[in-house]
Amino acid sequence: MKELMASVWAEGLKVRKSKMFIITVVFFAFIASMMGLLMFVAHHPELAGRSAALSAKTSILGNGDWASFLTLLIQVILALGPIGFGMVTSWVFGREYADRVAKDLLSLPVSRMTIVISKFVIILCWCILLTLTLFLCGLFVGVAIKIPGWSSTNVLNSFLIFINSSILTFLLCTPVAFLACISRGYLLPIGFAILTLILTNFVAIGLPNIMPYFPWAIPALYSGIAGNELPQAEAISYFILIVVSIAGFIGTAAWWRFADQI
Amino acid sequence: MDNVIETNGLTKKFGRFKAVDSVSLTVKKGEIYGFLGLNGAGKTTTIRMLLGMIRPSSGYACINGQPVHAGNYALWNHVGYLVEIPYSYPDLSVRENLEIIRRLRFINDFHVVDQVMENLQIAQYQDRKAKNLSLGNAQRLGLAKAIMHNPDVLILDEPANGLDPAGIVEIRELLHSLAHDRGVAVFISSHILGEISRFATRLGIIHEGKLVQELNIEQLESLRKRRLLVNTNDNQNAQAILGEKGYTVNRVQNGLIELADKDAIAHPENINVLLVQGGCPPTLLRVDEEDLEDYFLRIIGRN
Repeated sequence: MKELMASVWAEGLKVRKSKMFIITVVFFAFIASMMGLLMFVAHHPELAGRSAALSAKTSILGNGDWASFLTLLIQVILALGPIGFGMVTSWVFGREYADRVAKDLLSLPVSRMTIVISKFVIILCWCILLTLTLFLCGLFVGVAIKIPGWSSTNVLNSFLIFINSSILTFLLCTPVAFLACISRGYLLPIGFAILTLILTNFVAIGLPNIMPYFPWAIPALYSGIAGNELPQAEAISYFILIVVSIAGFIGTAAWWRFADQI
Repeated sequence: MDNVIETNGLTKKFGRFKAVDSVSLTVKKGEIYGFLGLNGAGKTTTIRMLLGMIRPSSGYACINGQPVHAGNYALWNHVGYLVEIPYSYPDLSVRENLEIIRRLRFINDFHVVDQVMENLQIAQYQDRKAKNLSLGNAQRLGLAKAIMHNPDVLILDEPANGLDPAGIVEIRELLHSLAHDRGVAVFISSHILGEISRFATRLGIIHEGKLVQELNIEQLESLRKRRLLVNTNDNQNAQAILGEKGYTVNRVQNGLIELADKDAIAHPENINVLLVQGGCPPTLLRVDEEDLEDYFLRIIGRN
């Protein structure tokens, strides 16, 4: 435990002092604000003027009430999560190689497994912070622009779906970490995170029947925002997601433990 | 247990390429072992195997009698190291970089960071981000991380890189004091024999992955080639005179005469007499000792 605490502290310091940390928090807050702005425009269509694109976007907001806004926030975390969390994971693991500092962690009286676990702990904390930033900023903006139809029960239910979707998305970050390690940098893992998002959309449109078995589509199925036309997440879906997550973790830990660190 | 560092048949292959080929060496307590080789000779690969960063294809390494491998991490409590250019976390200050190592080495004494910064003269840069350090100060920071926990073993890869002449002398004195006063075993790689021979007690020369020579620093003096250089106004005639007397005479590039006979080197005055009697008085008589770098290049077959 002493090892893990020291290692988490070290990882936390690296994150806190990085520009990446500030940038991601500000970006997630900005996106929440933009969603609020979109709701505001939905209530004041005259602001959209003759912008057809803006009108089209506001039209997806349904009734423009809190229920629609909370659904929108869940959609945002499902789209932004894989990219945002993927970037966070790529940075936490990839920067050790990009900055050529990995060797400083390899011959210390701390097991390499502890270092890998502490990195995932810090990624989880970072991802939860981003999730909360998005949700709380969304709530703040929603209250500020006086979205109608507030229901505490509805907000709480949406929050639970929101946070669980985030955790499911976080669990899928372990393969990203593995790719950051084997490629010793950021590009491949970030490319992979983007690819999974694209593939999820292709699967949803072209092969909806395999969505329950495609790990990266499962958070969307869990959230229920994909609609009733699509198949639902089953027990096997969560099993597949967890297997992929564990495989990514084992791959990352094995790479740190057994690969030549050149 | 006398040997602090020991390798036996240490070999690393990358595909069909043997980066390190059957290197067996030992370093004792209080010894400074200079590990010498050209760039790409296998120094860093050997060091990474000593530190458990690369798994040997065959052979093994031990530190303090314990086998080196990634799972034996308790071993690193007693080892300090610096591998290649000492990069640090660029967005963290000097103090923060050291604080990370202090925590990960479970050193409870907070003052150790201040002490090591003082020792390596980087206290004035403690709040400067590592990315803004000069190469020399980055090297000092790397050394501070290596010695902060008072290790029994120091494994250093080219620690003098980027240091100015004063810095090199400081580091040399620091390592000398650690080895002699505290009995630290120091394994230090370099590609400059002249520099490393000033403080190493033993040398190992690695070339194309093989340990081609191991010697004590005292042996180095006796193994270096010595020669007598002679110049006269008529070197062709002088060469004939000395040749007649049975000396092996060579002409070197700048036209000087070179004699490698032990007798000539020990008694240059005899050569002087011979040349004067032959009507060819010398304008130069100089016993020349082989340059350390020339010796190194000769050993690895590059000269």
